[in-house]
Amino acid sequence: MDNMLEMYLYETNTLLEQLDELLIEAEKNKDFTTNDVNEIFRSMHTIKGSSAMMEFSTLMEIAHHIEDLFFYIRENGLDSMDESHKNDLFSLMFQSTDALRSEVEKIENDEPLSTNIDPIISNINSFLQKISTPEGGSSNSNSDSGEKTESAAPAADEQAIALINQELAGAPISDLPYFIRIFFEQGSGMEHLRAFMIVTALKDIELDFKFFPEDVETNGDTSETIIENGFYVALSSQEDIEKALRVIKEQNSVETYEVMENASLKQEKETHDSKKEAEETGEDAAKKNTTSAPAALNGAPAKKNTTSAPATHSNAPAKTSLISVSLSKLDSLVAIVGEIVITESMVTSSPDLQNLKLDNFLKSARQLRKLTDELQDIAMSLRMVPVSGTFQKMNRIVRDMKKKLNKDVRLTIVGENTEVDKTIVDSIGDPIMHIVRNSMDHGIEENVEDRIAAGKDPQGEIILSAAHTGSEVIISISDDGQGMDPDKILAKAERNGVLTKPASEYSQKEALGLLMLPGFSTNEEVTEFSGRGVGMDVVKKNVESVGGTISLSSEVGKGSCTTLKIPLTMAIADGMEISVGKSMFTIPIANIRQSFKAQKDEVILDSNGNEIIKCLDDFYPIIRVHELYNINTEITNIEDGILLWVETADKSYCLFVDELLGEQQVVVKPLPSFLSNFNIKNSGISGCTILGDGNISLILDIRTLYAAFYNQY
Amino acid sequence: MSADTVENTTFDGTMEVNTSTERFLTFSSNGLNIGVSTNYVIEIITNHMITMLPLVPDYVTGIINLRGQIIPIIDIRLRMGNPSIDNTSSTCIIVLNINSVQIGIIVDAVQQVMDIDQSQISPVPVENQQKLINGMVSSSDRSVILFLDCEQLVETF
Repeated sequence: MDNMLEMYLYETNTLLEQLDELLIEAEKNKDFTTNDVNEIFRSMHTIKGSSAMMEFSTLMEIAHHIEDLFFYIRENGLDSMDESHKNDLFSLMFQSTDALRSEVEKIENDEPLSTNIDPIISNINSFLQKISTPEGGSSNSNSDSGEKTESAAPAADEQAIALINQELAGAPISDLPYFIRIFFEQGSGMEHLRAFMIVTALKDIELDFKFFPEDVETNGDTSETIIENGFYVALSSQEDIEKALRVIKEQNSVETYEVMENASLKQEKETHDSKKEAEETGEDAAKKNTTSAPAALNGAPAKKNTTSAPATHSNAPAKTSLISVSLSKLDSLVAIVGEIVITESMVTSSPDLQNLKLDNFLKSARQLRKLTDELQDIAMSLRMVPVSGTFQKMNRIVRDMKKKLNKDVRLTIVGENTEVDKTIVDSIGDPIMHIVRNSMDHGIEENVEDRIAAGKDPQGEIILSAAHTGSEVIISISDDGQGMDPDKILAKAERNGVLTKPASEYSQKEALGLLMLPGFSTNEEVTEFSGRGVGMDVVKKNVESVGGTISLSSEVGKGSCTTLKIPLTMAIADGMEISVGKSMFTIPIANIRQSFKAQKDEVILDSNGNEIIKCLDDFYPIIRVHELYNINTEITNIEDGILLWVETADKSYCLFVDELLGEQQVVVKPLPSFLSNFNIKNSGISGCTILGDGNISLILDIRTLYAAFYNQY
Repeated sequence: MSADTVENTTFDGTMEVNTSTERFLTFSSNGLNIGVSTNYVIEIITNHMITMLPLVPDYVTGIINLRGQIIPIIDIRLRMGNPSIDNTSSTCIIVLNINSVQIGIIVDAVQQVMDIDQSQISPVPVENQQKLINGMVSSSDRSVILFLDCEQLVETF
């Protein structure tokens, strides 16, 4: 939870920063560009979404209204506003971002969020009204937001009550007046047994109490209920609560607990029961104020009191445990560490030291080597992070949406340990979130009956997977929902006027591609999660910014799949080091099927004089690397070197190399862009890597190497 | 680097530092004295292990690992159509950053850093236009310095 809060704060702060920069720049030019409008719209969309997820309703409300405003502006074009409107818009935007920022600051400082955000929201709405009134025709979004104002005003109070009600909804029915609600530390496991331990401990001090769920001792499934709703202990009096709390505090892995009054009981008391009992309740409350732990009675008139001794430390976001470091600093760190490694080997193998007997020196040198190796490992690992963090975030989204949309869906995660460069992880977080939301919202069928009728498992499934292939990371998000209907997409596109040719001329693939245009959405209704068509164009933009590609595939009734292919800019790959003459090359292990020595008489010549060899009943061409690349080597006899049987998607052949040097994990680096002048990408080299001793090894691309070989003739 | 060699800049007796002067690093290649603006120069390195690249023009010698950065190296002799020579003790690589493209050039020897008044730079006579040269100046000791056209060096082909 802490982790998510940190991510949320970091993300929101970054977005607000970007927004500020954008606004300042735009104000200088006294105008918004279409890009600016789209950008603001997207940022607000993200803030709205993540705030809703974290249940920071004020932030969500503000962002939501700004989004509405920019939705209107985007639909109606910037020209609909005159100069004074634009000026007003600037000041309004600065005001709003300030409001957002102060709310974020409150979260950071663990203060309660402000409950009164009406001024800012009514400002936004009145501005929206002002710019939309001149043309009466397009009052659609206007009236829409008008309604929202009305509902927004009392929202704060209502929300507080709703929150409590919701909490109590999870509470069990009991005739005892007090509850202690206990949450265990996240991920502590075996929650039901931990709960049972509390039960036994409470029995030991001979308290009269009840607990819910009641079958914690025998039923392992109660763990989940406890994680979600907490473990409830019902008690009859204030003294018992204190005794119980003393016991609970001593228990391990209790994260938070709170004391609550039984709301239903209290209501009954207030309305039906005699005056005396009502007084008693009052007395109870008074007593509580004086006797309960000095830690925290925040005196709120609400029906809930929070006694949160350990909570104070768990709620405060651990702001110091994460710092953001600029990637350029990281890069120079990695570079300098690389230099140290080289210098170290230069010093220790210096020719000046040869033939000297230096016991102490060698001992220290060994120590130094060990340390520099460790340093290098750490420096390298700094940039690489597993995608699991991003993937885990989706669990929460699926869970929340599952509840809100009332759909039964499970999320299956495959390959979450795949390590990817930090920049890539950052840029794929948002896209994946949007795609998962789309899948939840539009992909999975509305009704379980539809799924059963289609012969599918009533429970929907979304599969999120990540895998390394030779030169790319492939991330796919697939669902087994209703799929996308190209005809519907085309119809919608026609209405939105984004078609560039007659609808009948679009292929299925092109039709799916329309989904990624800005402002396109097939959903008729705008929901909290999706439906405004910002999703897919954000996805495309973010993926393309790291040089990746995105493709959609879908089959009506079977589901759809979104695949992101992202090039490894710095991903780590397993490679086989080989040598040819004085050059070293790395071949991705994934491409190697086998390595073997060949006899001269096994090699056959075809009609063009190309060498062919038989492996497992099939014939494969031999490519001699030294000939292809004109490298001088003494090993030209097929029996002296070694053959590597390699394979890619559609090609399979043998490479003749001098020697295998060993398997190694390598960090893939792209070749300098200057070299693309020489068409280096098509000569069978996909990148390079720096070896431990500072030398460079070129990474062979098995697919293009084959093409390069055949293009020679 | 440039600070150490300031005394070299007094070759023409005047040491005016005004906006029209530019500082150049001069090197020799195939008997020519060539200058490159120090704005482009990052550093001078010697004895670096060059990894050869296959299937590229011969003047692209390869790539080097400079503190974790991969930098392509071209031989300025071959690039200008002159024969290459074996490395000597004075052979070195000048690493340049030209409009954020990093590239290293192999030169026979590095000479000095000098301030040159831009008004003195004359264009190359059209009749013997040379590749990669965009100006020349004659210095006080009657030697001629040619100026390397860095932009052309990294131009796409």
